[in-house]
Amino acid sequence: MTTAIADPVLEVHDLTVTYRQKPALWDIDFGIPQGVLVGVVGPNGAGKSTLIKAIMDLVPTASGYANCFGQSLDEVRQRVSYVPQRESVDWDFPASALDVVLMGRYGKRGLFRRLSNRDRRVARECLRTVGLEAFADRQIAQLSGGQQQRVFLARALAQEADLYLMDEPFAGVDAATERTTLELLGELRDQGKTIVVVHHDLQTAAEYFDWIVLLNTRLVAYGPKAEVFTPELLQETYGGSLTLLANVSELARKQNLPVRE
Amino acid sequence: MIGSDAFWIVLTGALVAVASGLLGSFLLLRRMALIGDAISHAVLPGIVLAFLFSGNLHSLPTVLGAAAVGLLSTIGIEALHRRGGLPGDASMGLVFTFLFAVGVIGVSSLGGNADLDQECVLYGELAFIGFEERLLGMPTSTTILLANLLLVLGVLGVGYRGLFLTTFDAGYAAAIGISTAFWHYLLMGLVSVTTVVSFEAVGAILVVAFLIGPAAIGHLLTDKLPWLLTWAAVSGVFASLGGYALAALLDANVAGAMTAVLGFEFLLAFLFGPYGWSTWRRRRPQTGLEKLRPLGAPVKP
Ligand SMILES: Nc1ncnc2c1ncn2[C@@H]1O[C@H](COP(=O)(O)OP(=O)(O)O)[C@@H](O)[C@H]1O
Ligand SMILES: [Mg+2]
Repeated sequence: MTTAIADPVLEVHDLTVTYRQKPALWDIDFGIPQGVLVGVVGPNGAGKSTLIKAIMDLVPTASGYANCFGQSLDEVRQRVSYVPQRESVDWDFPASALDVVLMGRYGKRGLFRRLSNRDRRVARECLRTVGLEAFADRQIAQLSGGQQQRVFLARALAQEADLYLMDEPFAGVDAATERTTLELLGELRDQGKTIVVVHHDLQTAAEYFDWIVLLNTRLVAYGPKAEVFTPELLQETYGGSLTLLANVSELARKQNLPVRE
Repeated sequence: MIGSDAFWIVLTGALVAVASGLLGSFLLLRRMALIGDAISHAVLPGIVLAFLFSGNLHSLPTVLGAAAVGLLSTIGIEALHRRGGLPGDASMGLVFTFLFAVGVIGVSSLGGNADLDQECVLYGELAFIGFEERLLGMPTSTTILLANLLLVLGVLGVGYRGLFLTTFDAGYAAAIGISTAFWHYLLMGLVSVTTVVSFEAVGAILVVAFLIGPAAIGHLLTDKLPWLLTWAAVSGVFASLGGYALAALLDANVAGAMTAVLGFEFLLAFLFGPYGWSTWRRRRPQTGLEKLRPLGAPVKP
């Protein structure tokens, strides 16, 4: 189930991550070409967040590495934008939406140089893109969960990157946010950007993404969704939950995807 | 000279309160309020050691040596937690009580030494600040605390964005290549230095109140960081003024009275502040779960 990728934008090689001797990711190997929208799918605790964090160099790796644009992350950080899980920060923090989006400019500007007018313009532009221009000066504690998620998206956009790694941007958001986010991801893809999205909802995964990475500590499969979104592979990813299996065949049928024997 | 004594006491108390209030605001936001407690106890053996070497509490080596012990204690706490696998609160409790005990042994065995006795170490001697030798025209402690406040203001001014970002979202900060460890230990270093230079004025125990109190008050009054810092500083200055008045009235320990006033200010802020008691329910995060019907509860028609 591996596809050889020429000139991958993201390449993960032999990656193993352990938390206190317990593997969270085991020997992961895959590549992602430019200009695709990729869903990373797997059950809870499958190591999806860990995969993103390992690519971003945020957790120590036991072996292996990840490359972006054929270089180590340190060489190309400006071109890689990371959207952490929304729950990873305290939204009671005394900051405004604009404050948070401006953080997306810190990487370019450095911490000690003043932010320019262009930085502020870009930040406001990004807030508009996610439909929050009216909320720029609103304190983030007063935003809804979906709006907070969109603030995170706007911050990632403000970085003007080429590769986006997003951890569960669809988790617990309202319908408006889900629609905005999806449209935005499509536009980014059409501009030639590469987007990797951790997603836990099987129902929508095949609909939203071009490519799928199936993960459960080990890499189960990756590739164009038509090749990967099959009952067998989904079963291998999710294990033997009966109700789920019933759903899986149905899902595959609904998506008009090939059901292989 | 009573009037000028009062002036030095209030000024010195305010210098302690403002510096620790500003640093405490960041500690509070990082959910590390108790690390201030840990550091303030851990510096004690450093102070004793440095005192033994230099025979003087006011020398730069004393301050830096003691602050270094404070900083080392935070590194030790991290290491026990990260590498030793001990829960964070346990490793903190272990490290600081141990170091404090070493310090207490040191102080008590130095016994009758006039410059370093238990009373002064635990409760401070703000009341006698006016009798200190002058340095640059002010009592030595006051001058040192002023220099410390300028240092804190300078670092916070230059490093505001770094602290802001690494406090709010350390993961994103690391992802764009910022060293979160640098900013963590920079803050810990400032807290250590501030604790060391403050302990003589307000004592090792009450400095914790100054690290947490003004910041907590600020938190109840605003949801903007610049204003939080401002309110922390203002409430610190008021605590110093009010504490002096209270101490004069009751003929009590000045630092203790300042802490009591700080507690009173906190109560007022909690009862009447825009982010205090009145909004406590509203500010709780909405998870959506509260709308769910409890298991077994009847379905409403
Ligand atoms: N910081 C951590 N310390 C110890 N174990 C962790 C840590 N983070 C994640 N894990 C464990 O690693 C596994 C993978 O976690 P994660 O990557 O968050 O999964 P997912 O995002 O797919 O739900 C889980 O078993 C989780 O409990
Ligand atoms: Mg996750």
